[in-house]
Amino acid sequence: MTVLIAILLLILAVTSLGVVLTREPRRQAIAMGANGLVLGLLFLAFQAPDAAYSEIVIGGLILPLLFMVALSTLRTTGKKK
Amino acid sequence: MSRAVRLIAFFAAALVCLPLILAGLRGLPAFGQHTNPYGDAVNAQGEALRHVTNMVAAVNFDIRGIDTLGEEFILFTAVTGVVMLLRGARGEARSADPSEILHRRREGRSEAVTGLGRWVAPTTLVFGLYVILHGQLTPGGGFQGGVIVAASALLVYFGEGYAAWRLIVHSTALDVLEACGVAIYLVVGLVPLFTGGSYLENVLPLGEVGSMLSGGIIPILNVAVGMAVIGGFCTIALEFLEETRQPKEDDE
Repeated sequence: MTVLIAILLLILAVTSLGVVLTREPRRQAIAMGANGLVLGLLFLAFQAPDAAYSEIVIGGLILPLLFMVALSTLRTTGKKK
Repeated sequence: MSRAVRLIAFFAAALVCLPLILAGLRGLPAFGQHTNPYGDAVNAQGEALRHVTNMVAAVNFDIRGIDTLGEEFILFTAVTGVVMLLRGARGEARSADPSEILHRRREGRSEAVTGLGRWVAPTTLVFGLYVILHGQLTPGGGFQGGVIVAASALLVYFGEGYAAWRLIVHSTALDVLEACGVAIYLVVGLVPLFTGGSYLENVLPLGEVGSMLSGGIIPILNVAVGMAVIGGFCTIALEFLEETRQPKEDDE
């Protein structure tokens, strides 16, 4: 196991913990994106660039983006018109 | 279920599952090792046999092309399911704003977001098309590139708002794009049958290694998958956003 993979595994543990511990939906979306990005980089370190690509675009890009879009349309004020 | 009952249930389940998990972990190959000779064989012979430099594309779109066809139908079915669940009687008026709903506050976007979106969205679009078209040469391909293109469309929504987004994203066009993507994949697979070949056999000239047109049917299938993925993911985003919009009386 190289140093690079060890470092990436450590960062992955930290970002995964971040996903679990985050409670606010918008922050959750960002935390999930960060986790997907690190996971993709780990795949890249394992010399699987194609799987890394899929993981980065799905886990790091489209999934948080979809969540952010959905959340941005769902902001509530608590006040009634 | 109280906390105590849940804890007891957890420990009971752990007691049963833990030995199985440990036995499974002991049977795993060592870290970084793989026991499957198939990958090495494809890496050694793939370039000579299929004239492509991305062996994953050679496997996904030629050697095991039928699997990718199945995956494409999975996506197609999933998108159809989302549409059937979410699309009710509401209309599709382009000018409608999803934020203008009772009890929901509209927050204006900052000029920085709009400005950045105008740079990033077109760049992302070009990059997505590049990834689709170079699937047989470099990592990536129809699926990854298609998702990037769909993300570039969503960036337009972020930067410019709903009305501008609906100007570039038409429900019918997306349906056609997705259906055509799946249909092209099917038809490309059928063509060799008429010359006595097998389904999804690579009958086209393989071209020069490193050229954009190398790999025979592989770039065509990549474009087909890209079309289906762009259509599918844009449709999902469209349905999600439409879902939050209040229908007007004249929409129906």
